[in-house]
Amino acid sequence: MRESDLVLEYAVQARRALEAKGFQVRLTRQGNDNPSFDDRSAMANAQRGTVFVTLHVSSTGSPGTVRVYTMSDFPAAPNATGLIPWDRAQAPFLELSHRLGDLVQGQLTLQFKGSPNTAQPATVRQLRTTAAPAIAVEVSSILVEDPAELARMGTGITDAIARGVAAFRPIYDASPVPGAVP
Amino acid sequence: MSPRWRNRILGGLAIAVVGAAIYFPILKRRVQRAARLQQQSEEQARRELTLATPVSPGQPRVKSVLFWASSAEDGSLAPTTVELPLSNEPMLRAKQVLNTLLAGPVDAELRTLPPDAALLEFYLLPDGTGIADFSEALATSIPSGIQSEQLAADSIARTLEANVSQVQRLRILIHGQETETLAGHLDLTGTFVVNTKPSQAPGKTPLAPPTAGAAIPGNNAPAADKPPTSGAKERP
Repeated sequence: MRESDLVLEYAVQARRALEAKGFQVRLTRQGNDNPSFDDRSAMANAQRGTVFVTLHVSSTGSPGTVRVYTMSDFPAAPNATGLIPWDRAQAPFLELSHRLGDLVQGQLTLQFKGSPNTAQPATVRQLRTTAAPAIAVEVSSILVEDPAELARMGTGITDAIARGVAAFRPIYDASPVPGAVP
Repeated sequence: MSPRWRNRILGGLAIAVVGAAIYFPILKRRVQRAARLQQQSEEQARRELTLATPVSPGQPRVKSVLFWASSAEDGSLAPTTVELPLSNEPMLRAKQVLNTLLAGPVDAELRTLPPDAALLEFYLLPDGTGIADFSEALATSIPSGIQSEQLAADSIARTLEANVSQVQRLRILIHGQETETLAGHLDLTGTFVVNTKPSQAPGKTPLAPPTAGAAIPGNNAPAADKPPTSGAKERP
């Protein structure tokens, strides 16, 4: 099983789980096309009230565990114009991303023992240009003895993501300005 | 064929099967050992070709702290103290510790960098930015994934932080080129914070205007006021 196929399968399942909770979902790819990081960010940044979830399967880590990453702290650019520079788009959303990440990670850890309790910081390229609460979810690992095991994890992963995003919704709604946690 | 000869042949076959069953695991171990030795010698040959960093035999051996993966397998790093004859010259010192980091720990499972990767050059700019130029193997041989890529960058940054105080931030190049990611996930377009000494806090360095891409409306949060944590990343 190829990683890209598995991730797409997870994404389709996540869409179903999120739609069941009343969210509108857009996938950044439909098949084996490979949009650039900026193309994916552009799709998310064009929406309002968005959260962004990027899914990955690693080739390391304890098999059967799932980690959530949020962008490491990095300084925002000076705000003279009121515009957010593209290459720092995530900076104003870091706090909200951490809260979303912790909520999703908490749900995942209930399902997958051995996963961390909180989201981890990482300098993920995809997250940097995303102007919304954004997390990366990485499943360990593509090297499991039985590839079907990864497919079976899909339901638990996507249900946990949907529950985490649903728990985040009131926090996001109560945030008056994007990026500012009340 | 007489029954006597048939029994002799069957007996011979049975002895051959038992012999093979005993010998096969021994042969397998020998093949594995030979493969390991060959891999080590290839790795050694590669290092000898690329490792142009002179050691400093005249220098006294000092305790150096290198960061490889923790045996807890939780995606964290653990410090290991080794005695090395390190140069006092920062660039040479950085090359020496990074080459030792690349050589790997005693337990190969705790490696953070691929065994065939090599440090091609290390530069130190006057503003404290260290530029580590690695061979392509760093990008092509590292296990793909956020965890493994972040661990690799963190091990480099923290090893420099512990041993070369002049390096304030780190930029990683692959074969002399700036690349967007290490192996598809970790952002390499900016610099990694190495040393967060208050006197030269990276967050207080002038920020260059964005060089590419559009801008989107919004507000800036107070993230700029936060001192970056070790291993965090800042834009140039």
